Amino acid sequence: MARNSIGALLRRFFFLIDAPLALLLAFTITMFVLILVIPLLTVFLGPSVKVSLEVLEGFRRYPYLAWPPLGEWVVVSDRGDYKLVIVRLKDLGVIPNTLIVASTVTLLTTIVGVFMASIVARYDFPGRGLFRALAVIPLLYTPFVNAFVLYKVFGDGGILGQAMLSLGLGYSLELTHLAGVIVAQTLMFWPIVYLNTLASILQVDPSLEEQAENMGARGLRLFTSVTLPLSLPGVLAGSGLVFLFSMEDLAAPLAFKVNNVVPIRIVSSIIGARDIELLSVEVAILAGALLLVALTWLMVIRTYLSLRHYAMIVRGGRWQPRVFKPSPLMYALIYLVAAPLLLISISPQVGVLTYAFSKSWLGVLPSGFTLDNFQYIFRDDMVVRALRNSVMYSAIALAFIVIMGVASAYFVNRVRVVGVSLLDFLVMSPLVIPGLSIAMGLLLLYSSGPLKGTLIDPFSNPMILIILAYAIRKSPFTTRAVYAGLQQVHQALEEAGMNLGASRTRVLLGIVVPLIGLNVLAGALISFVYCMTEVSVSVVLGALKPDQAPITYVIFDYLTAGYGGGAYVHVAAAIVALILFVQIVAIFTTNYILKYRYAFLGL
Amino acid sequence: MDEVVLENVDKAFGKVKALDRVSIKVVRGELFTILGPSGCGKTTTLRVIAGFEIPDSGRVYIDGVDVTFKKPYERSTAMVFQNYALWPHMSVFDNISYGLKLRGYSEAEIKRRVGWALELLDLKGLEKRYPLQLSGGQQQRVALARALVVEPKVLLLDEPLSNLDARLRLRVREEIVSLQKKLGITTIYVTHDQEEAMSISDRIAVMDRGRVVQVGTPWEVYNKPVNYFVATFMGRSNTLNGIVLERVSEELYEVDVKGLKLYGVAPGGGGLDRGLNVAVVIRPESLRRAGEDEKVNIIEGFVRRVSLLGYTLQVRVDLGNGASVTAYLPPKESVEAGERVRLYASPEEVKLYPAGEVEEEMQA
Repeated sequence: MARNSIGALLRRFFFLIDAPLALLLAFTITMFVLILVIPLLTVFLGPSVKVSLEVLEGFRRYPYLAWPPLGEWVVVSDRGDYKLVIVRLKDLGVIPNTLIVASTVTLLTTIVGVFMASIVARYDFPGRGLFRALAVIPLLYTPFVNAFVLYKVFGDGGILGQAMLSLGLGYSLELTHLAGVIVAQTLMFWPIVYLNTLASILQVDPSLEEQAENMGARGLRLFTSVTLPLSLPGVLAGSGLVFLFSMEDLAAPLAFKVNNVVPIRIVSSIIGARDIELLSVEVAILAGALLLVALTWLMVIRTYLSLRHYAMIVRGGRWQPRVFKPSPLMYALIYLVAAPLLLISISPQVGVLTYAFSKSWLGVLPSGFTLDNFQYIFRDDMVVRALRNSVMYSAIALAFIVIMGVASAYFVNRVRVVGVSLLDFLVMSPLVIPGLSIAMGLLLLYSSGPLKGTLIDPFSNPMILIILAYAIRKSPFTTRAVYAGLQQVHQALEEAGMNLGASRTRVLLGIVVPLIGLNVLAGALISFVYCMTEVSVSVVLGALKPDQAPITYVIFDYLTAGYGGGAYVHVAAAIVALILFVQIVAIFTTNYILKYRYAFLGL
Repeated sequence: MDEVVLENVDKAFGKVKALDRVSIKVVRGELFTILGPSGCGKTTTLRVIAGFEIPDSGRVYIDGVDVTFKKPYERSTAMVFQNYALWPHMSVFDNISYGLKLRGYSEAEIKRRVGWALELLDLKGLEKRYPLQLSGGQQQRVALARALVVEPKVLLLDEPLSNLDARLRLRVREEIVSLQKKLGITTIYVTHDQEEAMSISDRIAVMDRGRVVQVGTPWEVYNKPVNYFVATFMGRSNTLNGIVLERVSEELYEVDVKGLKLYGVAPGGGGLDRGLNVAVVIRPESLRRAGEDEKVNIIEGFVRRVSLLGYTLQVRVDLGNGASVTAYLPPKESVEAGERVRLYASPEEVKLYPAGEVEEEMQA
């Protein structure tokens, strides 16, 4: 009986697809297994099998948990004519720090994001259009430099403190250490919650709200009892991603000089390592811990949401949304709370340009407009080479991405066999798996055992793994776009082709691809931009061989070398400004060809 | 000669049994309709024939060849989809010529054949248009042309009229029939509309919950429905609850409907035992005013409601025992609400089915 049903399953499988399609699928799955599944298993199994004793030792040796906590919550120092208040939060050890920061940032971004989304979705106020447009800006990738700008605003001798002094308040405020990281990440990440929530609210059928009003619910009651619960998938999708992003963010801890969080510890141990044996066990343990937390978190979120839901949640609303005139209190909230918050949140992008076009920026205002920074980067061989590397890696990765994206989206959407949902999960999972864990897995797997010293060993040749990791990590954006396109193509259009004598592959290439070509193109553009701005794998594997490193590694290198605000920040900002330019071009292109408004934004 | 044969085809989707031992034989050149309510498995049957689904068990033959596990593109069927499935990115010409190109015809031959199809379906001059620039009726004809141009062994039509407005539906229906007769192409037509099925078909297969319950000419299916489902699905009918009193002859039974005695027949085959609960099914058009001298099969009651439908006068009659019937009387008949009427139905028009069948239907 069992044999029989396996036979029936296989027969059904090969009835549904033909050989070329089966080959494409096998290729996609193999890639994901080799570049994602096995490396992640290595992160878990590698260290625990080999050095389980060392792990225990490690727990004693490294301050994973610091008790009693180190440092002060708040430091107030008397500077003669004024008092300096430094909020920094206590250090609880590397893992608690990371979890506390991620949880707090998730909570704060959820509050801010839902608040902002409900304002934009439901109120008609002067400047609403501008508000919506500006709220998208924080999502433009400005690797590393964004956090340095926020440090410039809130940190040691920052603009905020100086502004308070010049107002003659007698107090000056600085946010440093973990407090700074929390504020910076909140400002960087709330738009993710905002956009997903907004899309969700706009998809709520107005008649559902009208029904509730008809029964007497209004105001906050209406919002909390009907609107918010119905938008919960969007809220959760957004805040779920924020948690994961916060946990593996390198930029904010780097800018605010926090060494005791997981991502910084992983990267700083790898930099300078020349051989796998020299890597401390701690790195693998931390990467494993990161992965474990991410997977647990994912399971929690998945009880509410399917990954496919992530995909559909970020498309625009279909109904004429309900908008109201704000009450006086609401006006006050919009212009006195929401608007300033929004302006601070776009400061990283503004700051990047300020750094890029200025000679120095020590006080509140920068000085000396210049194009030297741009001239400098084009004269620096390392930058030029890294730019070339990034474009090349991303382009090659893109070829893989398009093939895998079309194959897997087509399969998941069209071919109904057992195991398709597993494939769906697999190909979408890179969205939520920490890049640092993937990078560590690749490093551990491909630099030891029989692969040591081969062409693919990242210590001698990180290029190959960087390209493949780009392809895997950034493929979901294309897969998702293709999937959305396929949903618009009625299955009968394909069946009509097969009915007239075309094979499935022929139908895919001749009928489906022409119909969803724009989706493929839009998805590919998004994936390309995200490859260019990829951080985790670029930094970890790029550090092993700087001449093969991509551009994000070089930005990282400039910022860590030029610590303390030297000219290096200006140079890094100039590179980021270039990347910013590429993104804006890509966004306008996709918007133009697809009206794909949110494609870049939510995740 | 049988063109399409299904043998004991089973198909389940998850736990839902879509097809339950379906067996059909379609004769070459006939217009064969599969009729049933939505969810009865008629479209699944068509998709099994086209090769979009493979059966869990059973066999499918086309022109004597076992095609059960053949891919859709290896079967010489041509389907017209319910939504036409015209490729929006291809012109009318490209849509129609698609199948011909796949068959490797020369350009001249493709032109000739497409020209033939355009002429046949009165589409001349539209070949450069795109599907979205066509009316619903034109789209429908393009879909037909695309299917016919490849000269398939079997033409499959899945509810081809359901997306047309009522006026057009009648016209296209006639066009399809005359085209089918002209080309002599074996055609399998799926619909849920029993009137449509009756008007066009050589033979009809009635399906219910995944099973083929009756196959026959429209006349057979309408006048000799083999079970309660077919009797009530085809046309309108009155259902009364009765108990078998006696088997009067080989064919004839006497039943009691809450005190009312009626004679009827059991077209389902097999005998009905005395005391069995039965559904007594009488079509409204089988009822007429009883003559003075008629003494049996008289249904008497007060007229509750009269509505003139044009071609008939619909009269609702309360029988006084809690039951009521609808009768179609000639439109010129003068009947008024509140009036007492005597109706008559001949025994062969009073059909008896075991009550178990009714309960089964109710649960479905």
